[in-house]
Amino acid sequence: MGKDAARAEWDNPMQFVLACVSYAVGLGNVWRFPYLCQMHGGGGFLIPYLLMLVLLGVPLFYMELAIGQKMRLGSIGAWRAINPYLGGVGLASVVTSMYLCLYYNVINAWSFWYLFHSFQSILPWAECPVNSNLTGHVEECERATPTQYFFYRETLDISGSIEENGGIHMGQALCLLLAWMIVYLFIVKGVKSTGKVVYFTATFPYLVLIIYLIRGVTLHGSINGVKYMFTPKMEQLANPTTWINAATQIFFSLGLGFGSLIAFASYNQYNNNFEKQAIVVSMVNSSTSIFASIVTFSIYGFKATFNYESCLERVRLLLLNTFDLAEDTISLENVIHWIAELNRTHPEQFTSLGGRLETCDLEAELDTAVEGTGLAFIVYSEAIKNMPVSQLWSVLYFIMLLLLGMGSMLGNVIAVITPLSDLKFISRYMSTKTLNGLVCLFCLLLGLGFTTRSGNYWFTMFNDYGATFSLLFIVLIEVITVCYIYGIKRFEKDVEDMLGHRLNCYWKIMLAGVSPILLIALFIFYIVNYIQGGTPTYQAWNKELGKSVVTEYPPYAQAFIGLLLASSVCCIPLTALYTYCKKRNLASGKRERTVSTVSA
Amino acid sequence: MLVWILFLLCQVGAPALAQDLCQRDAPNGYKVRISLKTALGEDAYEWNQSEMFFFQATMAFAMRRHFQMETYNVDNIILCVQTSRVSFWFVVTSPDNTTMLIPKADVEKAVRMSRHRINNAFLLSDRTLEFLGIYPTLAAPVNPDTPPWLIVFGVVIGAVCVGIIALLISSLLQKRRKEKGMTEDGQDEEDMQVKGVENGINLDGTYNRGFTDDDRFTKL
Repeated sequence: MGKDAARAEWDNPMQFVLACVSYAVGLGNVWRFPYLCQMHGGGGFLIPYLLMLVLLGVPLFYMELAIGQKMRLGSIGAWRAINPYLGGVGLASVVTSMYLCLYYNVINAWSFWYLFHSFQSILPWAECPVNSNLTGHVEECERATPTQYFFYRETLDISGSIEENGGIHMGQALCLLLAWMIVYLFIVKGVKSTGKVVYFTATFPYLVLIIYLIRGVTLHGSINGVKYMFTPKMEQLANPTTWINAATQIFFSLGLGFGSLIAFASYNQYNNNFEKQAIVVSMVNSSTSIFASIVTFSIYGFKATFNYESCLERVRLLLLNTFDLAEDTISLENVIHWIAELNRTHPEQFTSLGGRLETCDLEAELDTAVEGTGLAFIVYSEAIKNMPVSQLWSVLYFIMLLLLGMGSMLGNVIAVITPLSDLKFISRYMSTKTLNGLVCLFCLLLGLGFTTRSGNYWFTMFNDYGATFSLLFIVLIEVITVCYIYGIKRFEKDVEDMLGHRLNCYWKIMLAGVSPILLIALFIFYIVNYIQGGTPTYQAWNKELGKSVVTEYPPYAQAFIGLLLASSVCCIPLTALYTYCKKRNLASGKRERTVSTVSA
Repeated sequence: MLVWILFLLCQVGAPALAQDLCQRDAPNGYKVRISLKTALGEDAYEWNQSEMFFFQATMAFAMRRHFQMETYNVDNIILCVQTSRVSFWFVVTSPDNTTMLIPKADVEKAVRMSRHRINNAFLLSDRTLEFLGIYPTLAAPVNPDTPPWLIVFGVVIGAVCVGIIALLISSLLQKRRKEKGMTEDGQDEEDMQVKGVENGINLDGTYNRGFTDDDRFTKL
């Protein structure tokens, strides 16, 4: 009797949509998109971004959902069903997702650490700690800023370079354990538990973003940031990097190629209308990016204005103290005027000020564009500490980061677990709960490596190289497979079977023509960039200087980068070769058997 | 007559002598800087001669408190080089010999000892009443026995553990209940497991095993 137990399913289509939204709307929307917007000409960046969404993002998203829903299997099984030689595509997706699982939860661990430390009367990153003999502040903190000190020294206890290993940071390890336990709690019963969790992880971040938007625009100076962001600099559109970054951002923001979308869609009912859902999720993802960047820029504007005014205050005090003028002669508005005045009237005394006189520039403050963990944990926490009732805003902010991160983590883990649980030899010997527990435990133990003193450098390596290049390759092979090897006609028939109507020309043109061309262009660009870039480098934190220094990777680290890239990409040709050999052996074996019966 | 002339000279000379002792960058003197508007804003009082006298009195008090034996007086605190910033220099003379200055180190110790009292006398703080060269000692950090973050962490991880155990136990109980239900009627198990799906609608019928393909390949 060859029937299996019925596959688990989402309770209703809304759970599926929310799961996709929760997965796609992640930390990248908050910390990568605003940076790109700022780098590539503010409001003008929206043009390449939205264009790439239409040409690249939505069609590929649609394709992955279609495959998952049709095949009703995780990525390995689905691609093997499409073409036995290309089962390696699914395997490559699983390997890449595994790398992502390992390092992504470390970000959640940091968010937990910051969240727990927000429950104090003075936020620990607001002031420098005093040194041992109570005469001043700790030196490293004086050279850097308190927020940087808290992140690099107290949170990470970072070493000077990737070669200097240290022990595990116990606080980080505990937070990572908690993060993995929560992930297990969310997935322990499969889609039944995940389906309920995504109601919360998909919607609550929007609530926090709205609260932050209201708080952000009412802060003093926020309008400077928003104005700066939205002033379009159209000349940036002529720069090819703008278009490439727009395409890359759409690509990674939607989470294509990891196998998560295939896994989610495999739990759908056969006739679910994924076409509408694909468009809805992509639109929601992009609008969230734009919304989050408004919030980010109002916070930036507040922080820049605060720093600018603090700078002016320091200059004002310096002038008052050096020239012994009464306190109310110089105010913040006429500091600049007074500098010129004093330079004219007391030139020798003015030159004695020398280097202590800072130049305060609002534009320069706004120009300091940061992305990634630096934005989330350093720049944002610096802005938060200056807000009134900073503990409340800090707690809200880190809860939002946690929900965004956890939502994406769910997708990552399900992308690994679904194909594994589809494999017969695993599903026969262990239940889903045991499999889930083992995967979480395995990732936790390996992830402890990222909590060591040099862990942040390995984290950056995984973040920059673990998933970027391999994904482009995987999705390129996916599109070519579906459109040309499987055939766009067969795909069309499958979609008609599921949805009841044929593919209209938009999907056909995009999937068969435009998207592959764009992907190939991106792919070539990455290779050229990598070759031209020379030795890969990273930012090492220098204790003495109190800032990050560009350092080259040592040879063994470079070899490891190569291994990261090769391990996922090689799955495709190796699996094809293995399948070919197996088929040839099977064919020759059958021939031998038939020969023997005839002869007998 | 001579005594009267000498007396007059002393009266004139004493302040002149005092001026020689107290000057800008005096080796045994300190510069004081006061920021009233920053500290008090609208409630700032005016800095006048009475306030200067109050300062002399406070410093005399600080010296008395530190040395405890000698009797300092307001005349022993000499002020000079006043500016509109509100900053001035001061030196401290010994009560026994008005031409001798108390060394800088001793003055510093006296100020450090009574810094809090001096600040409060003028409604100011370490930052707004500055003795240039005397750095305020910073408050010692409060080190609680258990760091507060660990407490919050303990609460959250406890809740998560309880959640996981509850879910595992509930599914275990569900499985046991199903097994008990099965032993009563062995047929139900196979019927319940398969739900036909047709056109997206779940059919709750029973599976007709007449059409199961038990033997996909007929045995020869």
